[in-house]
Amino acid sequence: MTKHIDMGKEYLGEFEELVLTMVGILQEEAYGNAIVNEIKERVGRSCNLSAVHVTLYRLEDKGLIKSSMGGATNARGGRRKRIFTITNSGLAMLRAMKEQQMQLWKLIPQLKIVGS
Amino acid sequence: MKKSSPTSSFALRFLAWFCPPSLYESIEGDLLEQFQEDAQAFGEKQAYQKLFWNAIKFLRPGIILRNKFSLNLFDQFMFLNYFKVASRVMIRNKAFTLINVFGLTLGLTGAILLFLWIGREFTYDQFHADKDRIYKAWNRATDNGNISCWDVTPRVLAPTLQEGFSSIESAVSYASWGDQLLFTVGENRLLKSSGAYTDSSFLHIFSFPLLKGDAHTALREPASIVLTEHFAKELFGDKDPFGETLNIGASGNTFPLKITGILKDLPTNTEFKFEYLIPFHFVDQLQGGMERNWGNNSVASYIKLKAGSNLESVNQQIKDIARKNRGQSKNIDIFLYPLTEMRLYSKFENGIPSGGRIEIIRMLAILGTCLVVIACINFINLSTARAQRRAKEVAVRKVSGAFRFSLVAQFLCESILTAAAAGIVSVGVAYLVLPLFSNLVQQPLKLDIASPIVWGVGLVFTIIIGALAGVYPALYISSFQPVKILKGMKLSASTRSITRNFLVVIQFGFAVMLVISAIVIQRQINFVQNRDTGYSKDHLLYQYMTGDLSKNYLAYKNELLQSGIAESVTKTSAPITERWSNTSSIGWNGKDPQTNILFERFYMDEHISSTAKFTLVEGRDMDLTRFPSDSTAVIINETSAKAMGFQQPIGELITDNGQEWHVVGVVKDFVLTSPFQKVEPLLLFGCKSDWAFNVIHIRLNANDNAQQSIAKLSELAKKYNPGYPFEYHFVDVEYENKFANLKTTQLITNIFSAIAIIIAGLGLLGLSTYMIEVREKEIGIRKVMGGSVANITQLLTTTSLKPIFIAIVLFSPFGWMSMKWWLNSYAYRIDLTFLTIAYAAAAILFISVSIISVQVIRAAKANPVDTLRNE
Repeated sequence: MTKHIDMGKEYLGEFEELVLTMVGILQEEAYGNAIVNEIKERVGRSCNLSAVHVTLYRLEDKGLIKSSMGGATNARGGRRKRIFTITNSGLAMLRAMKEQQMQLWKLIPQLKIVGS
Repeated sequence: MKKSSPTSSFALRFLAWFCPPSLYESIEGDLLEQFQEDAQAFGEKQAYQKLFWNAIKFLRPGIILRNKFSLNLFDQFMFLNYFKVASRVMIRNKAFTLINVFGLTLGLTGAILLFLWIGREFTYDQFHADKDRIYKAWNRATDNGNISCWDVTPRVLAPTLQEGFSSIESAVSYASWGDQLLFTVGENRLLKSSGAYTDSSFLHIFSFPLLKGDAHTALREPASIVLTEHFAKELFGDKDPFGETLNIGASGNTFPLKITGILKDLPTNTEFKFEYLIPFHFVDQLQGGMERNWGNNSVASYIKLKAGSNLESVNQQIKDIARKNRGQSKNIDIFLYPLTEMRLYSKFENGIPSGGRIEIIRMLAILGTCLVVIACINFINLSTARAQRRAKEVAVRKVSGAFRFSLVAQFLCESILTAAAAGIVSVGVAYLVLPLFSNLVQQPLKLDIASPIVWGVGLVFTIIIGALAGVYPALYISSFQPVKILKGMKLSASTRSITRNFLVVIQFGFAVMLVISAIVIQRQINFVQNRDTGYSKDHLLYQYMTGDLSKNYLAYKNELLQSGIAESVTKTSAPITERWSNTSSIGWNGKDPQTNILFERFYMDEHISSTAKFTLVEGRDMDLTRFPSDSTAVIINETSAKAMGFQQPIGELITDNGQEWHVVGVVKDFVLTSPFQKVEPLLLFGCKSDWAFNVIHIRLNANDNAQQSIAKLSELAKKYNPGYPFEYHFVDVEYENKFANLKTTQLITNIFSAIAIIIAGLGLLGLSTYMIEVREKEIGIRKVMGGSVANITQLLTTTSLKPIFIAIVLFSPFGWMSMKWWLNSYAYRIDLTFLTIAYAAAAILFISVSIISVQVIRAAKANPVDTLRNE
């Protein structure tokens, strides 16, 4: 058999992975609403704000991201944003998951495109 | 136009409530941002909807469980502050606080006492281990379409049931006839009538634990007896009575009985009352075999069903048992009724259970609740009336950012604090007066003041009462608009006067009803006590014919008469104040076979008319010396003569159970049983039935000192009846005992009417004081303009009296009707006149006027300069 990848004790669900990735992508602009919009834009999937928030808090509990209070805008009625940034272990987790997927992907017999 | 903003939407406020504060800001921000985007994309209306749903979707464990519950839901600092402010307010307004606390204390104390009593009523006979399987047998007789029920059954019923029905586990006869027995142990002699006869499985059916002896065998042998611990101690002192033998003397004979069991003293919450139990076999043997007459209802029958038996089917099976065995056409059904219902639900009307004692209990519960309610009304009225004083405080608090919720909480704290103060005091007071009250209602009530349950329940009720009394004032006061108040607008004193007057009407309405009942009860008692009894109660006494007295009766009687102690002596079947026996099978000439009249039987030897001082309407008294045939004579009362339809009663023949009696006299009706009821048809039979005599009536010489007569009497009693202690009963004392129950009712009504009036009066005092305070300037101006003291007094008094007038008009009909209903249970009763209501109204008005006018006159006398100079 091929190399086994250690995923650690934590395991990420599909939505968690998606949100984590988005936090990685958005960098300083990663807060609840922005993530919802980003997901919609890039994946074409509409998700609920509350679901994103809960996932973010869960990821924060797992130490994969951290948060700090950011700036307020008028559109937010003067309320500050909670900005999330990905931590090193978060990045490692993403990387590990990607590698695992790639390895698994390689195991699939490559399909030939017939009739083109 | 009012512009709504998304920040104040319900959904966000709801979110703020459950969301952890640390997360709330960013979530709210995200929601608002979303809202703005939605508003641009879909319009404001849809954006609001989306905002609502988005916010509601946060109600999920992932958010809620992030709350730190311990600290944040409860603002302890504010609470401490509320209590501080509340206690300051209470201390500052001493009179107001006192009125509230005192009123609530009175109401609560009354309610505690009543509910202790009520609670106890529900514990009666609930301690038997198999209480759900124990039943008492009842008769249901249909007679000319009337259905009547009673719970005295033939002696033979219980054994028959036990043998014949598989679903019946055991059945016993139980009889407490009140016959006097002389107990002798060595030198110790005691007369007791507080025992019962019963069958051997009695101690099995009921949970009266034996300290010594075996429940299976204790009542098996005829010559055995079971004593309660207390009675055993009375008889034997410190000696161990178990297994000993004692002698009982009954109807001239002495029987040795072996003590086969010692019972723990009976609990007080049981309908059973006995100090000793004697096996029914003993009675059966005395009578030469068990009484098998199905027509003689003389005992109670208790039945225990086997576990899992169905009452309905058992009732079906045993229904016609009496009819079958009696072999007569009499339409009597036997049915079982649960033991646990006997105390409160043992009244039957037309064969159907229709309440009973529970009706009284319900009245008491209403009374208790009403007392608390009228005390709460005081609090509500005084708080709202005095709201003006708190208005500035409320306004300033609101301006400094107090939410309405916290103001409500603050005012509730005040009312709960008041209720708590009253609650603590009233538990103490109730504890102190409980012995008196127990004595009054003849129920050993207990309030375990050390028990945490009492205080726990008390605390819960205090909070509930405080909240109930406080919620309306709190909502009212906290609704003030700060802008108006701070601009200097005065709340008009009459803003809430409709509510207030309505509550005063309820308070005084209740007081009026209680006063009406107190007056009616008082008048009814007076009326019945003054009823002509038909005989002379003074100087008349009776003795039970114990021991040798029946043997020596004639000699005793002769000596009594010769020595001049007595004017007249008659032996009778029972005291003249008690029913002894009755029958519906009396026969006479021209009797309509359909009639079914119950006649009271009374047996005597002779001279009854001179002993009791009856009024003879016709004929003569009995005299065995002059008319030896008087042993089969009968004297009837007027009601009997009327019932039998005699034109010329003298010489008519009456048959009772085959024996013929000839009428020699008719006496004016006299009260034998209850002075509250109609006089029953009564037959005074002669001495032919010599077994019937139990009592000697003695009319003392009216000229002698009663004390000396009794002393002489006791010497004679010792001479003719050496074996028994001397005892006697004055008829007037015994007669007075018939009023004991009603007098208790009267006392209770009086006490609680007084409490209700005091509470309502306190409220009135508070309200009128406040009203005068508010109208001080008005009074001053009126005086300056030439109003006289009398004018002003009249004006102010009438305003305050208006709700009281309304209360009298609205509520006295209720009082009237309920007392009418109450009086209906008495055949001999007063007529309810409007005078009663007038008295009650006058009493209430007098009290109200005296409360109000003292304040009003003082205010009206005040110098207007003092009240007006400030402006």
